[in-house]
Amino acid sequence: MGAAQASIIGAEERKANRAVAVEGRSVIFKIKRCDGPGKPWRWESFKVPTEPGSNVISSLRHIAANPVTVDGKETTPVVWDSGCLEEVCGACTMVINGRVRQSCSCLIDEYAPREGDEIVLEPMSKFPVIRDLWVDRTRMFNALERVKAWVPIDGTYNLGAGPQEDHDHQQMRYALSECMTCGCCLEACPQFIKKEHEDQWESSFIGPQAISQARLFNEHGTGKRLKDERMDTLTGPGGIQDCGNAQNCVKVCPKGIPLTESIAAIGRSATIHSIKKFFTGK
Amino acid sequence: MSTHQSFMQRHQFLIRRLHSLTGILPIGVFLIAHLVTNSSLAWGWFALKGRGGAEGLSVSEGGVQYFAHEVTYLNTQVPHLFLIEVTLWAAIAFHSILGFYYAMGGQGNLPHYKHQDNFRYTLQRLSGYFGIAFIFYHVATLRWGWSFLVPNGTEWSHHWSASTLAAALQGSSEGWTAMGVVVSLFYFLGVSLLVFHFANGLWTAAITWGLTVSEHAQKRWGYVCAAVGVGLMLASWGALAGAMTVDYDEAQAIEASIQGSHEVPAEQLDVHTQNDGHTLQTAEADPEG
Ligand code: SF4
Ligand code: SF4
Ligand code: FES
Repeated sequence: MGAAQASIIGAEERKANRAVAVEGRSVIFKIKRCDGPGKPWRWESFKVPTEPGSNVISSLRHIAANPVTVDGKETTPVVWDSGCLEEVCGACTMVINGRVRQSCSCLIDEYAPREGDEIVLEPMSKFPVIRDLWVDRTRMFNALERVKAWVPIDGTYNLGAGPQEDHDHQQMRYALSECMTCGCCLEACPQFIKKEHEDQWESSFIGPQAISQARLFNEHGTGKRLKDERMDTLTGPGGIQDCGNAQNCVKVCPKGIPLTESIAAIGRSATIHSIKKFFTGK
Repeated sequence: MSTHQSFMQRHQFLIRRLHSLTGILPIGVFLIAHLVTNSSLAWGWFALKGRGGAEGLSVSEGGVQYFAHEVTYLNTQVPHLFLIEVTLWAAIAFHSILGFYYAMGGQGNLPHYKHQDNFRYTLQRLSGYFGIAFIFYHVATLRWGWSFLVPNGTEWSHHWSASTLAAALQGSSEGWTAMGVVVSLFYFLGVSLLVFHFANGLWTAAITWGLTVSEHAQKRWGYVCAAVGVGLMLASWGALAGAMTVDYDEAQAIEASIQGSHEVPAEQLDVHTQNDGHTLQTAEADPEG
């Protein structure tokens, strides 16, 4: 389940491209570049020879070794972020041909099968750019803190054995646990708006990633002890109510996480939480 | 930060849920009732026939007869009508002002993410903008009597419900004019978009409130909402088609006979006569067809 689902649209087309990819061709990378926070951005294009199985990261490595644009102008190497190179860390997420996805798993054959075909790379637009294709995803980790996405086990006494878990429930939670904080869902969400400064994060839409993680820990036998606090955050400013049900998030999530189900489940918890709070809360 | 803003922020959740609720109750419920009544212009004859009261009437005349009867009933027999109307207008104002404010906060990205759901999201906002413009025109001209906005200045009156509606849509009491085509097209777009807005809102409300959680449940509820949408769409088109095919003079004759036969006490009718004196006089001055 999960990762096996091709959640990014256009899978058919990509498969067809792979079948007709020309060997030994060169493709053009058009890259949106920026030298640092607050600096202006510009486009630069690079010609990169392909090898069988080459992907966006391997092509970026080629550019880093030969930072010369198609017009023969010497430039600085293009900067990007990456970690695992196998689509499990989320660090290499960027916008490729207008759609967000991981670049390490993005095969050139699928996107540019013919000589001279162009691939456009842009940094994610919802996060502050550090440099070129490298963005700062701190807001996502801050969101995880805000919804207390953990199981409270620290204490002064032995908590005893963990809770029992049945198979189906475990399967449901497993799917949610696959989130790699990559940011695809936030990039595609029309309700999630870029905020450069940390003090704006609290009042802006928290986004589907944290909502789904809150559900993961609300569903945990011990983690649910923090459910009320999570629901306070999620019914506060920038909470679940800001979702506009565009359902883009679920379609771009590379892990096939059922984000819209999480949103509805948290919506249900929010309904119950707010009614309970109205009658019994402070 | 102004106190106004922090009030909105502190109660963001509640206000958004109220926004969701008002879309269904009272607005959605009213929409259903309104379209059922108005579409009787299209199906009224069949209802009359069922009761054996359609003899000698064409389908259009039967529709007018039924519709005019309904409208007279609603306008004369429903208690606290004004209170109901004001509540409805307040709900619509609340829903649309907030909706506008929320929609402004989003960043549509349909060109990049061409999914059906993203299209729905975008259309929900566009239909909201268009819909409120239409509702305003519709209510202002046909309810508040801003007849200067109607081509040839027809004033709607519940005594002459079908005929004056037809004149407003067709552009004149003598039949179609170019402006009438424009107004009718505006109506067609307005009602169609609003029906979509309601059906889609009904679907997303179930997610918002957490009624439909699983993907399958969302899909099942989607079929229900689609059926509601198709039904209301047919009702709204039926109402429009009915109003567009009404013959002004024929309708006036039927409406005059209803006023004569209606069980409204004479004094009460007089009060209305004074209110809508203009329309009534015009009708009286009319040679009887
Ligand atoms: S369903 Fe909600 S969270 Fe997901 S993309 Fe749409 S608005 Fe964003
Ligand atoms: S939910 Fe999916 S798209 Fe969003 S951050 Fe997690 S893995 Fe990425
Ligand atoms: S480098 Fe880890 S997901 Fe691409």
